[in-house]
Amino acid sequence: MLSQSSLVKRLTLMIMFAVIAVLVVAGISFNMLSQHHFRMLDEQALSEKLESTRHILSIQTPVARLEELRPQLRALLGAHQDLTAEILTSDGTVLFSDLKALQIPDRYKRADKEVIWEWQDQSHNFRGVTSQVEIQGDPAPGTIMLMLDITSHVHFFETLHRWFGIGLVISALVSAGLGWLVAKSGLRPVEQITKVATSMSARSLQERIPLEPVPLELQELILSFNGMLARLDDAFVRLSNFSADIAHELRTPVSNLLTHTEVVLTRKRDLDAYEENLYSNLEDLKRMSRIIDDMLFLAKADNGLIIPEQVDIKLEDLVSKLFEYYQLLAEDRGVRLSLHGRGIITGDRLMIDRAVSNILSNAMRYTPEGKEIAVEIQHSADKVTLTIRNGGATIDSQHINKIFDRFYRADPARREGGPNNAGLGLAITRSIVEAHKGKVWCTSSEGMTAFHFVFPANSGEAVG
Amino acid sequence: MKILVAEDEPKAGAYLQQGLTEAGFTVDRVLSGTDALQHALSDSYDLLILDVMMPGLDGWEVLRMVRAAGKDVPVLFLTARDGVDDRVKGLELGADDYLIKPFAFSELLARVRTLLRRGTSASAQTTMKMADLEVDLLKRRATRNGKRIDLTAKEFSLLELLMRRRGEVLPKSLIASQVWDMNFDSDTNVIEVAIRRLRAKIDDDFSPKLIHTARGMGYMMDVPD
Repeated sequence: MLSQSSLVKRLTLMIMFAVIAVLVVAGISFNMLSQHHFRMLDEQALSEKLESTRHILSIQTPVARLEELRPQLRALLGAHQDLTAEILTSDGTVLFSDLKALQIPDRYKRADKEVIWEWQDQSHNFRGVTSQVEIQGDPAPGTIMLMLDITSHVHFFETLHRWFGIGLVISALVSAGLGWLVAKSGLRPVEQITKVATSMSARSLQERIPLEPVPLELQELILSFNGMLARLDDAFVRLSNFSADIAHELRTPVSNLLTHTEVVLTRKRDLDAYEENLYSNLEDLKRMSRIIDDMLFLAKADNGLIIPEQVDIKLEDLVSKLFEYYQLLAEDRGVRLSLHGRGIITGDRLMIDRAVSNILSNAMRYTPEGKEIAVEIQHSADKVTLTIRNGGATIDSQHINKIFDRFYRADPARREGGPNNAGLGLAITRSIVEAHKGKVWCTSSEGMTAFHFVFPANSGEAVG
Repeated sequence: MKILVAEDEPKAGAYLQQGLTEAGFTVDRVLSGTDALQHALSDSYDLLILDVMMPGLDGWEVLRMVRAAGKDVPVLFLTARDGVDDRVKGLELGADDYLIKPFAFSELLARVRTLLRRGTSASAQTTMKMADLEVDLLKRRATRNGKRIDLTAKEFSLLELLMRRRGEVLPKSLIASQVWDMNFDSDTNVIEVAIRRLRAKIDDDFSPKLIHTARGMGYMMDVPD
């Protein structure tokens, strides 16, 4: 298949066919023009001779002295090597003949009106004219036939055709060769790109294809390719970090379990010691179990396996319920909770519960005593926004885009909120919101941190 | 109360058997689906605990055949697979509950007790009593040693839950779900705070102490021995 062959081969063939096509058209045009030109020349020569002959025949009077015309006619018609002529009077008497032993068919010797014709015998080609002619003293018109030997023309065209054919083959070969060179050099940038792309591996994802020597047409391709590399690189780095994080997050409790259990078993102890060991194990195991649950949830979200239920959710009710839950903690910490506005979205109640709760518990963790956690719900025709604001330390701008990443902690050494907080809460929130075709992001400045949720507005009923 | 545990993983099955036996149930344990079906059909159980993935017949198949035989015994599924389809399939076949591995034993125990209680008629009692603590469910009022105790609505719900399930260790997740309708793990210590506050009102100034912490597992109310 042409479409599957190499680009160079394809271009070469296309160039070759283009050259052949142009040459063939030019050749045919030239051939037709030449033929036409030669025919015009022949016809002009024939008609000149015809006119002259007519003139000679018209000035002589007596029929008996027609014989005297022969020298004149010979001078006019016989002098020309290629010209053959025959003049017949009305009764068929040959007045003049210079047929050079040619057997001309009779049909060319008679004509009611002037006709131009072509004829060929074994070796020669002729173009002739037959016409009636007035002969002085002859009661009826006689016939004149003039004929030019055009064999040389025909030979010329035969030679021309032969050389044109040879020329065509040569041009085809040459154009194929040149086409190959042109295509090859024209495609060199593509080859370079291919080389760079081939040399890419997971290790060298930071490499980019240089834009400098690349022709304009390919820059868009390079740009999108580089963009893809950047995304791959990003995803790869995340994946590597993610695996490392999982290993780390699970390794810590496993290693705790191992050492603690082994140490306890090294010698006989009293019951309290065993109990203590089991409790400690229980804590670590719960933490692991929870990490596994959360990781599975995120893995499912990544693979688009989270399919939210579609029910109407009144966000203000949902937040009120969560406030009831967090109220105790808030009182305990001296943090105020407030809720303004309302809005209805469509989605999975349990998931949205969890998404908002994760942010609230996060806010609860970071809001200092005496400050407020304010939830504001706003709705417009096409979207519902929920904003959770809390006072507290400003999140550094270098962290703010990453806080939704799995296991991300602004300070890697710090583990806020006890062993249960593995740093997956915000990632889960984002997955849930994205499964609901919404967006969640965070802003932080001047001691005020805000988490913004945007959901598509409930399509069913108008929100009052 | 007689329970059948069908779990092909011997260690897990043995622990379940031990835990449930110690919680006061009679427990038969089998290692395959075929044995489970045979036991379930020939004997009379109050509850079946079936692992989904088992050699021979899987848990669903056992459930289907048990139901086909006209047995209405409650069934609790244990599964390591957490697919929505799996849950739907189990519930469609007539399973009463499911637990996803890994699960806390206290959680399993709580669910087992819920399922077993489901059969018996809900107690129509309007007052409950534990030592000198009295709770009036209609007036939603609590007194201890004759002294009125002021409780918020949530505190009262929490107290009611703990008293209704006297002697049972209730995991935090169950408390959050029953009292606050929080059906997922929250990584905060709200339940601790709630229990601490309830304790301050119920137990601090009185004796004996009624609210007990089962470390790492949950909370329980009972009169100490």
